[in-house]
Amino acid sequence: MKATPAMHDLRPRHWIKILLSLLAWISVTTVTAQAHPHVWATIQTELLFAPDGAVTGVRHIWTFDDMYSAFATTGFKAKVKGQFTRQELQPLAQVNVESLKDFAFFTFARIDGKTKRDAFNNPVDYWLDYDAKSKQLTLHFTLPFKNPVAVKQLLIEVYDPEFFVDFGPDEKDPVKLIGAPPQCTVTAEKPPDQNFTSSQSLSQMFTNAEANIGMGMNFSNKILLKCP
Amino acid sequence: MTRTHKHRLRQALLPAVVIAIMLVGAHSASAQFGAGMRPSAVSGIGGVAGWLLAKQAAFYTALAAMLRSAKVDGSALWGLMGISFLYGIFHAAGPGHGKAVISSYLLANEETWRRGIALSFASAMMQSLTAVAIVGIAAVLLGATAKIMGDTVRIIEIVSYGLIVALGARLLWVKGRGFVSALHALKAEPASAGAAAGNHYDAVCQCGHGHPPDLAVAFACESAGSHCHVHELEEPDVLPWGHAHGPEPQELAGPGGWRRGLSAVVAVGLRPCSGAIIVLVFALAQGLLWAGIASTFVMGFGTAVTVAAIATLAVGTKALAKRLAGRPLGYGSVLMRGVEAGAAALILAFGVLLLTGYMASERMGLF
Repeated sequence: MKATPAMHDLRPRHWIKILLSLLAWISVTTVTAQAHPHVWATIQTELLFAPDGAVTGVRHIWTFDDMYSAFATTGFKAKVKGQFTRQELQPLAQVNVESLKDFAFFTFARIDGKTKRDAFNNPVDYWLDYDAKSKQLTLHFTLPFKNPVAVKQLLIEVYDPEFFVDFGPDEKDPVKLIGAPPQCTVTAEKPPDQNFTSSQSLSQMFTNAEANIGMGMNFSNKILLKCP
Repeated sequence: MTRTHKHRLRQALLPAVVIAIMLVGAHSASAQFGAGMRPSAVSGIGGVAGWLLAKQAAFYTALAAMLRSAKVDGSALWGLMGISFLYGIFHAAGPGHGKAVISSYLLANEETWRRGIALSFASAMMQSLTAVAIVGIAAVLLGATAKIMGDTVRIIEIVSYGLIVALGARLLWVKGRGFVSALHALKAEPASAGAAAGNHYDAVCQCGHGHPPDLAVAFACESAGSHCHVHELEEPDVLPWGHAHGPEPQELAGPGGWRRGLSAVVAVGLRPCSGAIIVLVFALAQGLLWAGIASTFVMGFGTAVTVAAIATLAVGTKALAKRLAGRPLGYGSVLMRGVEAGAAALILAFGVLLLTGYMASERMGLF
């Protein structure tokens, strides 16, 4: 039997050591970092107007990355291998829009500066297209406003609060106005950090990404409509 | 070559291999982004969490890129393995990987760091196995859709969280009573406190030497059994780097055998990570299922490294505290029983929070 240190052997530095390692353990176990993106969606947004100038809805065109597209299409049979038709994918589109309801369609509206919850009815005009060359799925759907909004200012934000899906705007056509009164203007603000080129090395990528962390940046795509 | 020399060589080789894999991985990660993926805008999280998130996102996209190039260039498979390993290391820091449960379990019980590492690896390997099993059975054999796979994962997830709740509740029951009786013993008769706390469970569980006839008893004894093997007066087994030899299988199994700790391994390992499933299905679509399976297990290996490091930290802290708490009698003993009961309560809390959705768990696709 070895001798055990008695209570008087306890020096403050020992307790500090224990306290520090306990703190370290608690921080690594409870700071559960948020999920990293598993899905990428390149988005185009169209704002639809009634003849009287009210906004009736939002039409989304979301193109998913090839890995997620492969995942989403598993189990679906195509007559011509690797070339899904719209009809063949319609059941998947149905599932998609139903599931999206649980996430408020990742679409958040602010009307004249006020957040409007539950602003949309269930999606209409939805379908999926499959690009056989890039192997990417594109989901089309329209979200009608419950009450068409005649507004001076409308902000539509598209993002996933959990960041499982990384939404980013289409480079060429991020937003379109369909049937808008002439005085209306729209601006699309993309989340920061999108300006990487694919040739960047890993280390460059990390330095850039890290430089932006902690600057309170957010990752929502903001579409601001102004009809003065 | 003597035994010691061999071990020295092995000790020197391991870091070299790890560094080599990391270099290959880092180099390969500079590969192009694939169709529709882009470097992610990291959210407003700063500090370590944000850094981890950035790394995970980068390695995940690199994984996809490697799989794409592996289709035409077989040599990309090496890069794929390197990336998978690194992704596993960083991803284990994210939500849903049971590092909290495993290390709390180790804190609540009397475990060595070797057992901690063994449990970490067992749970990570089980996680890989469930991912492969789900994709193998659902996608390959049954031709099921992503929605069916997602629903399956959700059911498994609920079972897994339920098991964590059960594990926590059971440990809290046992450890809470241990704490209370240590407290009573201290108040009533300080001299016999250690004996009362130490031998409390021996009668029921026979210190793991007997073979409990049914699973329920085995469950109850799994944690209680640890009390029987408290070597209060021995030098604690704290520092991995202080030992010249690797662990032997019998040592890993520890007193009570492999069955002890199995509940923690299953509770944590049941829920596969969403990334592994998506990567596996993508690999399947590329006609590279075997590469995907290998990648999943390498990922699990990386995950295990992180979880094992955290587990070692927990075990080391407890051993140090125990050494300082001194003799098994008196306040030191009450303190240790208190830590164990606290860790058990933490597992229960994790389980309840996961089950009720208050704690982040990984989503599984959109469908």
